[in-house]
Amino acid sequence: MNPQLLVNGLVNAALIAPPAIAFSLLFGVLRFPNFAIGGYITVGAFVAYAANVELGAPLWIAALIAMAATALLVWLSDEIVFKPMRGQPPVTLLVVSIALTLILEQVVRPIYGADVRGFAIPLQRPFKFWGIRITEEQIEIIALTILIAALTHALLQYTRIGKAMRATADNAMLAEVRGIDTGRVIMFTWAFCGALFGLTGVLAGLDLVIEPLLGWNLTIPIFAAAILGGIGSPYGAMAGALMVGMAEELTVLVLPSSYKVGVGFAIIAVLLLVRPRGLFGQPEIKK
Amino acid sequence: MAQALLQVEEVYAGYGRGDIIHGVSLAARVGEIATIIGPNGAGKSTAIKAIAGLVRPRQGSIRIGGEEIGGLAASEVARRGVGFVPQEANVFRQLTVRENLEMGAWIDREHFEERLERVHRLFPVLHERARARAGNLSGGQRQMVAFGMALMVEPRVLLLDEPSAGLSPALVAQMFETIQAVNEGGIAVLMVEQNATQALKISQRGYVMAAGRVAMEGAARALLDSAEVSELYLGGRR
Repeated sequence: MNPQLLVNGLVNAALIAPPAIAFSLLFGVLRFPNFAIGGYITVGAFVAYAANVELGAPLWIAALIAMAATALLVWLSDEIVFKPMRGQPPVTLLVVSIALTLILEQVVRPIYGADVRGFAIPLQRPFKFWGIRITEEQIEIIALTILIAALTHALLQYTRIGKAMRATADNAMLAEVRGIDTGRVIMFTWAFCGALFGLTGVLAGLDLVIEPLLGWNLTIPIFAAAILGGIGSPYGAMAGALMVGMAEELTVLVLPSSYKVGVGFAIIAVLLLVRPRGLFGQPEIKK
Repeated sequence: MAQALLQVEEVYAGYGRGDIIHGVSLAARVGEIATIIGPNGAGKSTAIKAIAGLVRPRQGSIRIGGEEIGGLAASEVARRGVGFVPQEANVFRQLTVRENLEMGAWIDREHFEERLERVHRLFPVLHERARARAGNLSGGQRQMVAFGMALMVEPRVLLLDEPSAGLSPALVAQMFETIQAVNEGGIAVLMVEQNATQALKISQRGYVMAAGRVAMEGAARALLDSAEVSELYLGGRR
């Protein structure tokens, strides 16, 4: 097998993992699949573009600005759109979230048009190891994603707010009864996930190009990774991202590369038929 | 007569549009165990959930130590000294036993170690299985985790919704002994129980609910001795 494909798959997985973790965390506490993630990612990429290219900020500062901006945007989207609809069926909220992603995309389009753009970073030759090519940006994407996964693990396992997030996702009624202010936990979860979506916009802008459909194109693989790992399970989402990222790249061995985008759909379809709770998801127990 | 620590007066509450309880009044005094018995659908659980802040009362008053708590969010009710152990879904299944107990201490971490020790003394198995996921425990062990969580703070009143449900007869006896031990430690208890005879035996006060109302109330001993209660709710057993 061509080892280059494995490296490409790894980079692809590293792009999908942070938003898949965020998607899963949000599902855990809010119990609906939020398809507005595409819109959040696109806005994150364009905020970073504005800060980096138009205002001349170094990319890492632009990335921090984008993360803060999307955290705010995501929190506002809860306050304005989702909070008034709490308790509605998940399908209603899913449709609303798709509408929201379309709105966010249409906010970006009149300002920046449909042109493809890139960050102001110098072009560099890729490194070559044993015939495998990898760019500095791709190495950074992988390193950052590993860091994000480790930080998320530490947050969920060792911090008070992280444990409250897990408790709220597990049993929100009981969390309230034990004195946890679940409203604040939900607010923190939105903001944390918003920052991850903003970062994804930056990473995707580094590896791909910045355009209004940037987030939308990532939505299906992100969703596939989250449900492959067992929706609501952030650890499953990490593993799911690795598998979906690899699968997308490896299919070019047997199929024309234009079919790559169909891999996420295929994974979703097979999972829904065979194992709807995902590979690592716990069965829902109802008494 | 001692001032009631928990005073529920003329409370109407329910889910959706209709009320399930109609003008319910209950009380739990300091150092007392009070038990609510009654047939299925009498509104016992709704009454206890209204006190815990999980069902919003439409009318009436719920006070703890004189402070009105009716209509507060469950997390605020918990902060005012009301510990609630639900009948179902009463543990965090994905969290370990130790993490469940940590969540129990969410509003007061100051005496964490000493309270953890107390819970471990009451339920040694929770110490042995500290790292096990609560969802992997047996029903009886889960009930202990649920009870233990409520004891990780120092509640003024403990509300128990069917604490013996699903337990083996040996564990039921042990559970009632534990409730008595906790009460002797100074915590007032208000519980809903299907196991009416055993529950009334350890209680000082009893309420019989039927069709969303308190049909009878009085000293637990008197209810146990009442021919009418015995006939209707205790299966004719004394």
